[in-house]
Amino acid sequence: MRSNSMFAYNLSLALKSFKQAPSLYFLVILTLSIGVGLLCANLALVNSMTSDPIPEKSGQLFHVSMNTWPNDQPQAEPFHILRYREAMKISSSDIPKNSAVFYASGVYARDSASTSLKRFDSSVRATTPGFFALTNAPFAYGSGFAKSSGMEVVIGNELNQKIFAGENSVGKVLELDGELLTIVGVLKPWHLRPLFYHATEGRAFNLTDDIYAPLETSIDLGWSIHARSSSTVSYQGVKFTRDRNVFYLQAWVELENSAQQQAFQYYLDNYSQSLKDAGEHPLAILNELRDVNAWLLEQNIVDQNVLAFTFASVLFLCVCVFNASSLLLSRFHSAKFEVGLRRAIGASNKDMLVQGITESALLGIVAGLLSLLLSWFFLKLSIKFLPDLENLAVLDPKLLMLGMALALVTAIASALYPLYRANRYTISAELK
Amino acid sequence: MLKMNNISRIYQNDTIQTHALRDFSLNVKAGEFVAVTGPSGSGKSTFLNVAGLLDHFDGGQYELDGVSVQGLKDDELSRLRNEKLGFIFQNYNLIPDYSIFDNVDMPLRYRGFSARERKRRVEEALEKVGLASRLKYLPSQLSGGQQQRVAIARALAGEPKILLADEPTGNLDSLMARQVMEILHDLNKDGATIIMVTHDPDQAREVSRNVQVIDGQLADFKIYAPLDRTAGNTGKSVSISAAVEEEMADA
Repeated sequence: MRSNSMFAYNLSLALKSFKQAPSLYFLVILTLSIGVGLLCANLALVNSMTSDPIPEKSGQLFHVSMNTWPNDQPQAEPFHILRYREAMKISSSDIPKNSAVFYASGVYARDSASTSLKRFDSSVRATTPGFFALTNAPFAYGSGFAKSSGMEVVIGNELNQKIFAGENSVGKVLELDGELLTIVGVLKPWHLRPLFYHATEGRAFNLTDDIYAPLETSIDLGWSIHARSSSTVSYQGVKFTRDRNVFYLQAWVELENSAQQQAFQYYLDNYSQSLKDAGEHPLAILNELRDVNAWLLEQNIVDQNVLAFTFASVLFLCVCVFNASSLLLSRFHSAKFEVGLRRAIGASNKDMLVQGITESALLGIVAGLLSLLLSWFFLKLSIKFLPDLENLAVLDPKLLMLGMALALVTAIASALYPLYRANRYTISAELK
Repeated sequence: MLKMNNISRIYQNDTIQTHALRDFSLNVKAGEFVAVTGPSGSGKSTFLNVAGLLDHFDGGQYELDGVSVQGLKDDELSRLRNEKLGFIFQNYNLIPDYSIFDNVDMPLRYRGFSARERKRRVEEALEKVGLASRLKYLPSQLSGGQQQRVAIARALAGEPKILLADEPTGNLDSLMARQVMEILHDLNKDGATIIMVTHDPDQAREVSRNVQVIDGQLADFKIYAPLDRTAGNTGKSVSISAAVEEEMADA
């Protein structure tokens, strides 16, 4: 009961104190807000870079790298892109719960029924049907396609918004580079940060794709490869890659337990060995399965510049805390008489400490709210100068909470030394 | 009620050691009104600060209402200040931004009283000093005498055992000083124990006992009957040596 009443009393004292020196408290709040806001903006970028994009099963999804380069000048390590024949071998295995083999492409898309000839430059994921179940792609309408061949597509929310104003477009026909394909599924807004299924070639923070098309159909239509590819032979286009040494497909498998993982590793190794026995490659049997987080770590997707900025903003926040502390020191010094009076009439050091901490906590809450606004502003400013950051600059609820907590902690930390000093004098000296 | 025995208080800086109180002994009984007089720098305020637990002492024993204060922790001293002592300062020491009610209410907040009990006590204390109708005023809206009466109300609200007054009329003109002294005498008549530091010899003569402090020591004291409250007020003088012996025996 007393603690509740004292808490309310201390709050009212804090508000009175703010009214007594509004400019000084505004400066303290601004100082802390800028420090916390800047740090939060940087942490938002780091958070996007380091977060687990599919936490519900990131430990069960494995990227496949194989060491099957056909001559004696191998890559430094197992290759992250595969030939069509290896990809099909993976696709045909019944060991994984799901598997996906795909490459990135691009087309111009328009509604075939539209009178407008406006076409939209669209990214394409040419994939096997297992992609949707493997990535937990969220469907708003319809479903994925069932086979790797067929004039069907799934489209993303953004393209659906652009072409069909967000309506249910299942059954409608898109004209993609002159070919007519029917929409069988529309995805909900889908943000993968990082874009784990294609984290190579600096694409880890790209948006999810506009169009998901059956792999075989995409190859047959000659939709070109919009990502890294390597080959030991010349070829005229993707249509001619099925039986050649052209490496361009990425493969992911979903393995639910270590037994499946071992079995699939054995399956890959066995396949590599059979190729080697047939004289198709001279290399050591070295196939790697890396789960989502290990794969993202391997790709070094965290930008070192952002890390350096984050470290600098931590130091900047320390400077802000020192500044806020010296401002509060002057404030508490000017309130020395009141501290002395309160202690003279019965407040203990602990009472004064609690009063000071309540005041600084209130400061922290206000500074926290302002720092979140400033974080948002700093992120927008960053995007203005570095548009590549757009998909990264996201303040998620976890960060908002962290920002508030940081503001609270720094506000209290700023007040600790002034409070210590204020309570250090003898009461008679404070009252003089 | 208040027993000091051989209290010493030494202020020290790098080069100088100042004995603000030396072997200071005093015994104040319940219901007494004691005036502490002496020249500037004699140690009156130091005595009051030590008596009021606003400053520590370096040697001797001090017992306040049966509680020995040596070695008490900060929160225990605070509780003693809050429950047993009421302070009246020369410059009132009211917080200018707080209403009269809030100023008087302040010590009660640290006592843990309910809102209703606090309100009752504040109103009662302000009633005693004749300011019950000014609850919402700010100190700046009152005269100096009224402000000091608010300070007295603040000291009274916690119903302390002893009122400690540090030149309570020092900043007031004679009329207002008279009013404040009347209030203090009325309180004393109602049983309050009061120790008052003053420069005013007339005020010192009005009270039941006058203690002189010189060079941090109890120099002399005389016991007077109240000036114009007892018939034939001539003051009952006691020889210095006899008085000091009596005081020492009490302490």
